Amino acid sequence: MTDAVSTAPRRQRLRMNLSLIVSLTMLLTVLLLIVVVPLWPGFEPDKQSLFFSLEPAFQNPQYPLGTDALGRDLLSRVSVAARVSVLVALGAVSISAAVGILIGLVAGWLRGPVDSALMAIGNIQLAVPVVLLLIVLVAALGSSPLLLVVLLGLVNWVGYGRVVRAQVVSLREREFITAVTTAGGSGWWIMRKHLLPNVLPAVFVLAAFDVGVIITVESSLSFIGLGIQPPTPSLGLMISEGQRYLQTNIGLTLLPALVIFFLIGGIQFASQTLTKNPRRG
Amino acid sequence: MTDTTAPLLVLDDVSIEFETARGSISAVRNFNMTLPVGRKVAIVGESGSGKSTIAAAINGLLADNGVVSSGRILFDGQDVVKLDDKGLRALRGKRVGLVPQDPMTNLNPLQRVGNQIAEAIEVHDKVRASDAFKRAVELLDMVGIPEPDRRARQYPHELSGGMRQRVLIAMGLACRPQLLIADEPTSALDVTVQRVILEELDTLTRQLGTALILITHDLALAAERADDVVVMFRGEAVETGSAAEVMANPRHEYTRRLVAAVPTMQSRPLVPPVPATSRTNDSPRRPLVELVAVRKVYPGRQGFFGKPKDFVAVDNSTFSIQRGQTVAVVGESGSGKSTTAKMLLKIEEPSSGDIVFDGGAITHLHGKDLFSFRRRVQPVFQNPFGSLDGRYTVRQSIEEPLILHGLGNAAERRARVNELLEQVALPPELAERRPAEISGGQSQRVGIARALALKPELVVLDEAVSALDVLVQQQILQLLARLQLELGLSYLFISHNLAVVRMIAHEVHVMRAGQIVESGTPDEIFRRPQHDYTRELIAAIPGRKSVPAATELA
Repeated sequence: MTDAVSTAPRRQRLRMNLSLIVSLTMLLTVLLLIVVVPLWPGFEPDKQSLFFSLEPAFQNPQYPLGTDALGRDLLSRVSVAARVSVLVALGAVSISAAVGILIGLVAGWLRGPVDSALMAIGNIQLAVPVVLLLIVLVAALGSSPLLLVVLLGLVNWVGYGRVVRAQVVSLREREFITAVTTAGGSGWWIMRKHLLPNVLPAVFVLAAFDVGVIITVESSLSFIGLGIQPPTPSLGLMISEGQRYLQTNIGLTLLPALVIFFLIGGIQFASQTLTKNPRRG
Repeated sequence: MTDTTAPLLVLDDVSIEFETARGSISAVRNFNMTLPVGRKVAIVGESGSGKSTIAAAINGLLADNGVVSSGRILFDGQDVVKLDDKGLRALRGKRVGLVPQDPMTNLNPLQRVGNQIAEAIEVHDKVRASDAFKRAVELLDMVGIPEPDRRARQYPHELSGGMRQRVLIAMGLACRPQLLIADEPTSALDVTVQRVILEELDTLTRQLGTALILITHDLALAAERADDVVVMFRGEAVETGSAAEVMANPRHEYTRRLVAAVPTMQSRPLVPPVPATSRTNDSPRRPLVELVAVRKVYPGRQGFFGKPKDFVAVDNSTFSIQRGQTVAVVGESGSGKSTTAKMLLKIEEPSSGDIVFDGGAITHLHGKDLFSFRRRVQPVFQNPFGSLDGRYTVRQSIEEPLILHGLGNAAERRARVNELLEQVALPPELAERRPAEISGGQSQRVGIARALALKPELVVLDEAVSALDVLVQQQILQLLARLQLELGLSYLFISHNLAVVRMIAHEVHVMRAGQIVESGTPDEIFRRPQHDYTRELIAAIPGRKSVPAATELA
C-alpha cells in the first residue's frame, strides 16, 4: 500500500537509524569498558611490574592490551581513566546547566537591569578563552578532581544561561504565563512550575553536546599536567605519558585517544540525530 | 491561446494523502470542481477541512509527504499531477498566481518590494531588470498603492499590513496569470482593510479576466465575493453551487449549520436585552467596574535624531460594567482595546486615571490586596493553545489557580475540577489529556473553566472567540451567555468583530486610536451609528449584501 512516494522519507529514516546505531555502539563500547572491565579478575590499574614494562598489546594474556612504562595493565588503566573522564564531564555539565538555568530564568523573567548585568558578566567571561581561564585558575587554586569538576562547571554556564534566557523571554509573553500571573502565581512559582519544565528539553540537548566538549577540555588540561593528577589515570594524562614511546609503542597513545574519539564521536552523532528528530528521542 | 469554451481548471475525483510516521492520512477525498475561464470560486471550510491542501496541489506545492493518490488536476488540459519540476515552474507564477495568507512572513524583509515583484517577472518573461522594475511600479499602481514609485523602493517593514497584502497581490498578478489562487488573503488584516483589499482583488481579476480561487473559512465573505461556492467538510466537498443559492438554500446539513452559525447583522442576540430601568443614571446599583479617565502611555524609544515620541495606547477612557452584564470594546489592532483589558487584569498599570472595582480603587494594588483581587477578575485569551501550558494536563491547568489560592485539599480540588469541566460541557475523561490532544474549541473551554475556577465576578474575554471556526465560535458564545446567567458573571468582551459583539453584548464601546469614539447598546450602535468609524466597521462586516433583508430585528 505504501507506493513509490513514501521511499524518500523512509530512506531518510534509515540513514538516521544507521548513524544512531553507530553512535550508540560507540557509547556502549565505552560503557562496557567502564562497567565490565573492573569485574575482570586481572583488573589491577595501579599494580606496577617493571618486568613486564611496555608490553605490546595482544602478546601476554595477563595484559591483553599491553602495559605502560611502569608495567601497569593498560586495559585496567584505560577503564579507570574513561570512568574518571565521564564522571568529571557529567559533574561539570550538571553544574554548568544548574547555574545557567538559574541565571537564565532570573535574567529572562526579570529583564531590565538585572538581565543586562547578568548577560554582561556572561559576555565578559566568554571573551576569555575557557582553557586559558582554567589554566590560570588551576595554577592559582591547585588541582583536585572535585575542584576540577567545579571549575569546569563554573566556567561553562554562559551557553546554558543564554539559551534558557532566550526561551524564557519568548515564553513569558505567552498567554498561559499571563494566565498564571492573573491567577495569582508569583514569579518564583512561574519559574519553577512553568518556565523550568519548558526550557529543560533545550538544556538537555545542549548538555548532551557539552559532555563531549568538557571531555576534550579535561583531557587537554590533563595532557599538560593541570588536570587529573597521577597516580589517578586520566585519558589526557595517558596520552601525555604515551607520547614518549610513540615510535616504539604506539598503543600507549592510541588506546586512550580511541576512547576519547568513541566518547565524543558517539555523543555528537547521537545528539545530532536525536535533535534532528526530537519526537522520536 | 486557450479555447474559451473549455474550462480552465478541472479537478477530477482528486484524493490527496499525507504519509506520516503513523501511516497515511487522507486529507482530501474525491474532490470534483470545474472552473471556467475568468470565473470566481470560493472554497470554504474550517481549519483542517483540506481547502488549503487543494490549493497546494493545483500549484504542485504539496509538502514532501503529500501525494495526489488518485484523480487528475487538469489545468488548461494539462495534468498538473504528472508534471515534472520544470513543467511546474513554467506553470507557477506565469499561469497560476498565488496570494498567500500572511503578509508578514511571505515577503523578504531584506529586499525592496519593487525588486521582489520584479523578480517574479524576470523569472518568466525574459526582460531586462530595469524593465521589470518599471513593470513592478505599474503593478503597485494597479493594486492601488499611492506613490508607487517611492513605495517600490521601500522595504516591507515600511509598509502597513494592508499595503503588504497589496504587494502580494501584485506579485500574484505580475505575469498576468490565467488563474489566481488567494489563500485566506485577508484573514490577517483588520476588517476595514479586509474589505478594501477584497474589493481591489475583485476589480483586478474582472479587468484582467483572471479566474480566481478564493480560499476562506468565512462563508459570508465567500458568498459575497465569489460566483460559485464549494463547501468542504473533513476533506470532502459537501456542497457546490452558485453563491446565492448556497446561502439561500443550503442543501447539506453541514452547510445549513454553517450558514446559521455565521455571525451577521441578522444574527439574533444570545443575551436578553437589559431592562430600561437598570440603564438609567439614577440606578441604585453601583457598577462592578468603573474606569475613570484612564490613560496609558508607553514611553517611546529614542530616535536616532530628535526626541523620543511617546505612544498613547489608551487615552481618557471612561466606562463602567454593571454586574451580570457584558460590555464590549470593539476596535482594530492598535486601538488600545487589549491594553484596556490588561489594565483591568492588573498586568499593566494605568499612567493616569482610576479603575474602581466594587467600590474600591485598584489602580495601585500591591501584595496581599492584589493577590486577593486576582480571584475576582479572570482572563480568557484569544489563542486556545497558547493559553494552556503544553506540559500540563487539562486537570492540572484548571487546578493550578485553586492550588495557588489554597482552596481545598486534593480531593476537594479534584471534585471542583470535575464540576468545572461539567460547567463548560467537557467530558470528564478529557481531564487527563494535554493541549496537543484536544481540539481548539475544547482548549478554549478549558481556558474558560480555568478562569471560572476561582469563582470570579468579572471575566475579561480578549478576542476569546476570534481564533475559532464559526461553528465552534457559536457554541462558545452560547456557553458564555449561559454561564453569565447561571453564575451572574460580568464580562468585558474585547473583539474586532462587530457581528459577534452584537450577539453577546449589553453595551458596546467603539475604540479607535486609544479613544472611545462611540458608546451605546448594540441596537443603538447598529441602527444609528453616529461616528464615521463605526459606520465603516459595520459596512465591513461580510454578508451584509448577500441577504437582501437588511432591515433586521423586525
